[in-house]
Amino acid sequence: MLLLIKYTLLYGIVLMLVALGGMFSEHSGIINIALEGIMVIGGVAGVLTLTLLPADMSPFLVVLLTILAAALAGMVYSLLLAFASINLKADQTIGGTALNLLATAIAVVIAKYFSDSGSAKLNYTNKPFLFSIGGLELSVFVPLGIILLIISYVVLYKTRFGLRLRACGEHPQAADSVGINVYKMRYAGVLLSGALGAIGGMAYIVPPVQTWNFEVGVAGAGFLALAVMIFGQWKPFNIFGAAMFFAVFKSLANIADSTFLAQLHWSSNIYNMMPFVASMVILAFTSKNSMAPKAEGIPYDKGSR
Amino acid sequence: MAEDFVIEMLHITKEFPGIKANDDITLQLRKGEVHALLGENGAGKSTLMSVLFGLYQPEAGQIRKNGKEVAIRNPNDANALGIGMVHQHFKLVECFSVLDNIILGVEPNKMGFLQKAEARKKVMALSEKYGLRVDLDALISDISVGMQQRVEILKMLYRDNEILIFDEPTAVLTPQEIDELMEIMRGFKKEGKSILFITHKLNEIMAVADRCTVLRKGKYMGTVDIKDTTKEELSRMMVGRDVQLQVEKQPANPGAVVLDVQNVTMHNDQRKKDSVKDVTFQVHAGEIVCLAGIEGNGQTEFVYGLTGLEKLTNGKITLDGKDITHATIRQRSKDGMSHIPEDRHKHGLVLDYSLENNMVLQRYWQPEFQKGGFIRADKVREYSDKLIAQYDVRSGQGSSTIVRSMSGGNQQKAIIAREIDRDPKLLIAVQPTRGLDVGAIEYIHKQIVAERDKGTAVLLVSLELDEVMNLSDRILVMYEGEIVGEFDPKTTTVQELGLYMAGARKQGKETK
Amino acid sequence: MDKKKLSHSSLQSSVTSVLAALLCILIGLFVGFLVLLAINPAHAWADGFVRILKGGFHDAPYGVGKELANAAPLIMTGLSVAFAFKTGLFNIGAAGQYTLGAFGALYCAIMLKMPWFVCLIAATILGGIWGAIPGFFKAYFNINEVITSIMFNWIGLYLVNELIYQNGTGPMYDVRNTRTLNLGKSAEYAQSVIPDFGLNKLFQTNSTTIAIFLAAAVAILIWVVLNKTTFGYELKAVGLNKSAARYAGINEKKNIILSMAIAGALAGFGAGLYYLSNVSQWNPLNSTSLPAMGFNGISVALLASSNPIGTIFSALFISHISVGGSFLSTKYYPTEISDLISGIIIYLCAFSMLFRGKIHGLLFKNADKTNVNAEPAPAKTETKKEGK
Repeated sequence: MLLLIKYTLLYGIVLMLVALGGMFSEHSGIINIALEGIMVIGGVAGVLTLTLLPADMSPFLVVLLTILAAALAGMVYSLLLAFASINLKADQTIGGTALNLLATAIAVVIAKYFSDSGSAKLNYTNKPFLFSIGGLELSVFVPLGIILLIISYVVLYKTRFGLRLRACGEHPQAADSVGINVYKMRYAGVLLSGALGAIGGMAYIVPPVQTWNFEVGVAGAGFLALAVMIFGQWKPFNIFGAAMFFAVFKSLANIADSTFLAQLHWSSNIYNMMPFVASMVILAFTSKNSMAPKAEGIPYDKGSR
Repeated sequence: MAEDFVIEMLHITKEFPGIKANDDITLQLRKGEVHALLGENGAGKSTLMSVLFGLYQPEAGQIRKNGKEVAIRNPNDANALGIGMVHQHFKLVECFSVLDNIILGVEPNKMGFLQKAEARKKVMALSEKYGLRVDLDALISDISVGMQQRVEILKMLYRDNEILIFDEPTAVLTPQEIDELMEIMRGFKKEGKSILFITHKLNEIMAVADRCTVLRKGKYMGTVDIKDTTKEELSRMMVGRDVQLQVEKQPANPGAVVLDVQNVTMHNDQRKKDSVKDVTFQVHAGEIVCLAGIEGNGQTEFVYGLTGLEKLTNGKITLDGKDITHATIRQRSKDGMSHIPEDRHKHGLVLDYSLENNMVLQRYWQPEFQKGGFIRADKVREYSDKLIAQYDVRSGQGSSTIVRSMSGGNQQKAIIAREIDRDPKLLIAVQPTRGLDVGAIEYIHKQIVAERDKGTAVLLVSLELDEVMNLSDRILVMYEGEIVGEFDPKTTTVQELGLYMAGARKQGKETK
Repeated sequence: MDKKKLSHSSLQSSVTSVLAALLCILIGLFVGFLVLLAINPAHAWADGFVRILKGGFHDAPYGVGKELANAAPLIMTGLSVAFAFKTGLFNIGAAGQYTLGAFGALYCAIMLKMPWFVCLIAATILGGIWGAIPGFFKAYFNINEVITSIMFNWIGLYLVNELIYQNGTGPMYDVRNTRTLNLGKSAEYAQSVIPDFGLNKLFQTNSTTIAIFLAAAVAILIWVVLNKTTFGYELKAVGLNKSAARYAGINEKKNIILSMAIAGALAGFGAGLYYLSNVSQWNPLNSTSLPAMGFNGISVALLASSNPIGTIFSALFISHISVGGSFLSTKYYPTEISDLISGIIIYLCAFSMLFRGKIHGLLFKNADKTNVNAEPAPAKTETKKEGK
């Protein structure tokens, strides 16, 4: 049971962080399908920083610097999406897809360049990221995620920034007419999603293992996060709940061998499939009253009002 | 100039690719006056106001506030100068509360955190002062159009604006609500605020304005004092010729019942209420029946149900003796139903298709235009060329023009050509003249009357009371999804219709 | 006279599209060259850039044969995406449909020992079913096909892996190679391999079959369907304006499902072309990445501006540089450089409309006098958002 909680929290926090990122972007009116790629970029930047930092640095600094590096990389990468979809008014889905493909290629090229073996595998130590409370081993991303969740809620609903951001995703013409710079707000939304997505990518890769092959990317976790965001109706706490719900399925695979589930003799393929099947079922049921920001996916053109 | 102008727009020119929307236009607003800006659809009124509001930058000309030249680069600049605007299409975020909409852009805050209590107090005070009562915590999506307009007005007042622009504010209101709005405007005037009132309705100008500036096709036609002018003169300035305000038509000669609607009810799942309630009426061959009412009272939904775009919850529809309640859209079309849709861009046209492809939108599958699944391109072209010539549809490259590049009037003409040429038994025309200039309106009205005289049953749905009074042989008023009254245009008045449209009165159950 | 005008303007738009595609390619290659320079400047030109540009010709005729063998399925996945685009849908699910197609082809070949064309049909049908599912969700639940397709990509991958692997005991699984059984290695599967009519000898490969011609033929067929038939008229009308299509009496739900089913079938057919030709075998242990062929189809379609005939050429190009990439010496460069280049090219394609506008403006500024005195065209209406 403890194991189930552990894996659920670890994986759930990843989905939540990335989904929160998607939420900020979509509230500003930009569909961010590039989350998968942003995770990969965040992962490779974080891991690379981790391997390059001196071994005797204090764990706190290591954690801080790697997370900052990842977030920064994610923001820079998300700028590509922002530029294409805000300034050039490109199709957001196509732009995002391109960035997903590009991210894996970039990560592999970088990983191969830095790895000693010539493969796309990087080795690192994840010790600084782990701690345990009463036998429950957790990563720093769990408390960090909870803090970010609360901040996200406050920012979105209690601040001027949040009100304006949401206005841009719902009715950019209205926002523009009261003097809000829609382009700027959309940039802000996409950049936030870049930072959160990248941290999520690190949280996916670093805590469980000490070596990562970047050829595999993040195996669809970014896309699942999109489903989490939709299921969470673009609201922070609902997203948290949805993320944990999805994570339970995923965690079952990890603990299956040691519990009663082993008797079912299900292979990992079936467990892997479960979150995706679950998300389809849920989407089918919740699609009728979607709370999606109304203007998402539509490029805003100052000329056409 | 000795005169005391708060705002002057001098020699403004604004061009868009291929067109001069404003060509050397001058407008001077005195302090404390109601100044009307008159012009047809497409005359450049909205463009001029967008320039004043900082949404567009003009190519030439200058703007002065109190005699000093100012630069208005964006709505913030306009706001700083005390200029506020109620846009024709409201700029309100549907899923925000009234209060959030009012403060958006000028939010009272401490270190970025919202201070809504402060805002609430100020808004309450304003709404008391001007008699603009509205529930601050209601969501925009839950309140009526008239209420939404109040929110827009409060938005301006909250910003302490002194110059208030109203862009076509009466289009969505009942005659009574219009009177109230005029009263509110007079109140603002008393407070020393200056008002720019954009409209194409002469009655309203005569009722409330002090002076009037007239635009035609992007050009400045002059400014007149209302007390020295007449409706006829204004209308001539606006259109450039004498306008036939009355549609010429013979008395109707109704024949057999073509459309029979019995107890139609439609439920709206999203709003969890009936959008159309127990509607029953008939349309005879050779008459024009008009469904009048304020926007959003179930007309749109009813037409969707009638044409098969949506399912009925209850009721029965018979077309020329045949039950079509459950018929598909194509079946209805085969049975002689033509539909000029409310939204020509959404339903009426595939904008990125060529004109010829749009001309056969409901007929491409007929043997005339296809053979063995292959489109007979030559026949389509031939047919399209014929319609273009017959109905005078103008476009850059004839049949192969992409419809998106055509003007609104010609797009509408193309739809009308297509729908009329199918020789329907029933023609459903929903707001057929919306957004068009007088020439196009006259043309379309003539076509509709001609169809009637050929013996077609016509169901007209219109929000424009002038159109309703001029064109119809019978009027049905719809309010909150119900038919609340039936009238003869020769014996009723706009005021009487207004009372029914606002739900203030209701006739006994019609059983004709 | 009117006809002439029409062909003139459609010629203009074709020229513009081709030039925009070339511009994307040039910029993509240039950035690729910069990356080569950054990684290892000494070898960037001769051992890097030139080798990618030479593609299969670096090792002709073998490389050319390989290029053609790769291009065939790429044409199909490209067509799959392009066809969906033409009907207003974004088929990001080509990878999953391709996966299912691969399974269909291999199952019929290995388990049922069917002749190759039956295997191809099976691949097509399975791909079509996998495409129809997102279409169904879109038509009846109004869920964006992009989300559904992505989910079904992964579901398809795990499903097919499970069916083939079965904990290492699957009858289609060859434990020694950790792949499905090699069709070329045993005469009992000979009837399932697509015939090559001597192409293998010509190119000194063992994987060059008539697949490339089959793919090209399908591309032409799709062009005819889209442009000359009432079916194509309906599909495009639904794609351009769903509401107007409905108004016109077209069953838009049926057409959405059909569009996606056809798109899926095309991708599935592509998988058949690939796996029935000895190029390689399915690896059911790879549970973390979807077949790249599906996503490269997006590049192919975008480069071709969704023109079915265009996909033939853009697929050949993508195949060309990726074979070129595989010839890079791993001593100096990772072979993924070519993926990087094609990734950049898609990114650029995402806003190639902008390029197209600019190019069109530069080339035809004076020739194009359409509509100067008409009112301004209505802005593109905002399509009503659908819930996902």
